Amino acid sequence: MGHPNVGKSVFFNRLTGAKVFESNYPGTTVDFMKGWMRLGGEDVELIDVPGTFSLEPKDKAEEVAVKMLTENKDSVVVCVLDASKVERGLYLALEIIERGYPVVVALNMWDVAEDKNIRIDVEKLERILGVPVVPTTAISGEGFKELVSKLKEARPAKIEEIIERAGAGKEGGGESAAVSG
Amino acid sequence: MQVKKGVVKVPLSVDERWDLIEKITKQTVEFGAYKHTLKDAIAELTVKPLTGIPVAIAVLYGFWSFFCDFAGTLFTDGFMVKIFDEHWLPWLQSVFPGGLGDPLYALMVDAGHLENGVLVPSDNCFEAFGVLTSGLFVPFGVVLWAVLAFYLVFAFLEDIGYLPRLAVLVDTVLHKIGLHGYAIVPTFLSLGCNVPGVMATRVLETRKQRFLMITLLGIFIPCGAQIGIMQDLVPELMGWIFLTLAIGYLGFGYILNKIVPGESPEIIMDVPPYRMPALRNIARKLWIRTSRFLLVAVPFVLLGCLIVGLMYLTGAMDWLASVLGPLLMVWFGVPKEAVAPLIAGFLRKDLAVGVLGGLMERGVMTHFQVFTSVVLLSIYFPCLATFALMLKEENWKEFLGSLASLVVVVFVYGGLIHLVGLMLGVA
Amino acid sequence: MNEAEEKFGQVYFTILGAVALAFGAAELIASAGGGFTWGILDSSGATDPLFLPWRAIILLSVGFFYLSSVKDFAEVHQLAKAVMASIMIWIVAGMAIWTRIASSIPGEETWFNSLEGFLASYAPPYCPEMFLLPFSLVIVYYIMKEKEGEK
Repeated sequence: MGHPNVGKSVFFNRLTGAKVFESNYPGTTVDFMKGWMRLGGEDVELIDVPGTFSLEPKDKAEEVAVKMLTENKDSVVVCVLDASKVERGLYLALEIIERGYPVVVALNMWDVAEDKNIRIDVEKLERILGVPVVPTTAISGEGFKELVSKLKEARPAKIEEIIERAGAGKEGGGESAAVSG
Repeated sequence: MQVKKGVVKVPLSVDERWDLIEKITKQTVEFGAYKHTLKDAIAELTVKPLTGIPVAIAVLYGFWSFFCDFAGTLFTDGFMVKIFDEHWLPWLQSVFPGGLGDPLYALMVDAGHLENGVLVPSDNCFEAFGVLTSGLFVPFGVVLWAVLAFYLVFAFLEDIGYLPRLAVLVDTVLHKIGLHGYAIVPTFLSLGCNVPGVMATRVLETRKQRFLMITLLGIFIPCGAQIGIMQDLVPELMGWIFLTLAIGYLGFGYILNKIVPGESPEIIMDVPPYRMPALRNIARKLWIRTSRFLLVAVPFVLLGCLIVGLMYLTGAMDWLASVLGPLLMVWFGVPKEAVAPLIAGFLRKDLAVGVLGGLMERGVMTHFQVFTSVVLLSIYFPCLATFALMLKEENWKEFLGSLASLVVVVFVYGGLIHLVGLMLGVA
Repeated sequence: MNEAEEKFGQVYFTILGAVALAFGAAELIASAGGGFTWGILDSSGATDPLFLPWRAIILLSVGFFYLSSVKDFAEVHQLAKAVMASIMIWIVAGMAIWTRIASSIPGEETWFNSLEGFLASYAPPYCPEMFLLPFSLVIVYYIMKEKEGEK
């Protein structure tokens, strides 16, 4: 799952060899799409959903996305983020994490972020979130192998712990208390 | 380090979440100095109205020229017309059993037409109107190339990232008719085929916007198939046809927006960076869209040929023409012969324009009557496939609303065109 | 780009812009009468009467874009205007060439055109945009300079 136009369909096509439309504008996918990929000798079902800004749907395409998420309680969610706009993507990722889904975060459009001189400390982000984080460039296929291998490591994370770790990294520490209200 | 456990409420509130995000990004993300590049400057130029509008005009010019030459000049006129009119039609006329006047021959190959009371064979595939002649010529001789050309440019504009910029540019105008600038995407898509266009309205936020959009698409946007045929038959009228439809689209959009209750909120839209399109992706999209289109179109065209042929044979067409003729003549100023294309239009618009073409070749209609009929065909019922999709995407009330708007628009706008024609003295 | 290059660009694109403006104005005026033919310069021949004013408007915009770019030419936003103007010429001229390609391949009566017929399709007269095309290519040099500067 991810925001509109972050490259979810490109991921889907790459991973499953399926034929979903990819376009360079938001709202390419308006319905969900299922496909299959091989993962460690097993066939795994993969679902491509329309982009959404949050889990409170605002239009019909977003409704489809949220519905797919709630209907597939035991699935692993690949959160695709636009690496050049991490904050907004994290919002959705956190929402999904809060609901207890095992998550892998893909920082897509890594090339665009590099162009814009944005640097992201992937290891640290991984530590804070407690879920695998992989930088990718879906168009050229960079980072895909790593993403697939990390799928097995996807796990749910506790939001309390994320808050704790986010606070802990700061000098002086005690910040987390501010969130506890 | 002291952390209070178990005091965090899940789910977090919106503010709490943003707080958390800020903390995380502060530690992990570093924004380097960022200087505007040439690409950014160009991106800016294409969305600012003063410079963006001329650019859009140039882009649309390129789109349209490419479309005409690829589909019309190179494939249809260059090769397909020769194949169908000079080889396929004469060959069928010589080998198909029955000959002129035989019912099966008329249905499958050539119905012929009366000239001074004598039944004469047709000399082109627009007039012949058999399942094997017009039925194959329309989809494979004309429409396929038009749709291919359209989707080729469309996929290119999509992948390079120009479409959302166009959306930003027209946002102000479209807001006046209760639509978001983003509505340009479904509108554009519909110029290829209305079916994916209606699907794409799902990104619009409120039911009102979707209703407005679907209704306007169904009424005013001719599909690539229809445009291809029109371009082949009446190239000199295309500018006026598009202008008339655009005025209708904006005008009736404005009125509908005033009448229909509901809201048309802003949507914040992301404008993606310009990118070099991947050829592989364009080729794949082109293939999927074109093959999907053919799958829908070909059976309908064949069926349409058959039905129109049967109606002619059984005399049903003449009966309808004489019943509806006076209404058409008085209200729209078109002759009773236009009934046939209007009926074919319910199945496929491209086929309908093809029927008109046949009438035109025989000189049954004046130039202005052809113009009126073509516009009428565009605005009256969407083709069966679009119709079915509208039923699926709208609820009953909305669907009836769309239908009602359609009927009103056909009569008011069609009558208006006739009136303008009368005043200008061309009707 | 260095100062000499900037200076040259300013002079060059002022002239090109003025020529484009003149062509555009001529085309717009002539569009009422179906276009003009003047030696090897020809702007007629479109099947749709609305094609000519359409092209004229683009050409006028191209002229304005070029002219407005020359002040502070080295600045990236200004340069972008000249780049955009050139791209617009490429679109229109590219399509004019494409029209010729499309009509040069099939023959009048035969399947394919004869060699003479094929070559004759590319003979002058040309439309104004095609004359501007080679001159607009100078911008490529400046684009490359700018790209170097970005690195």
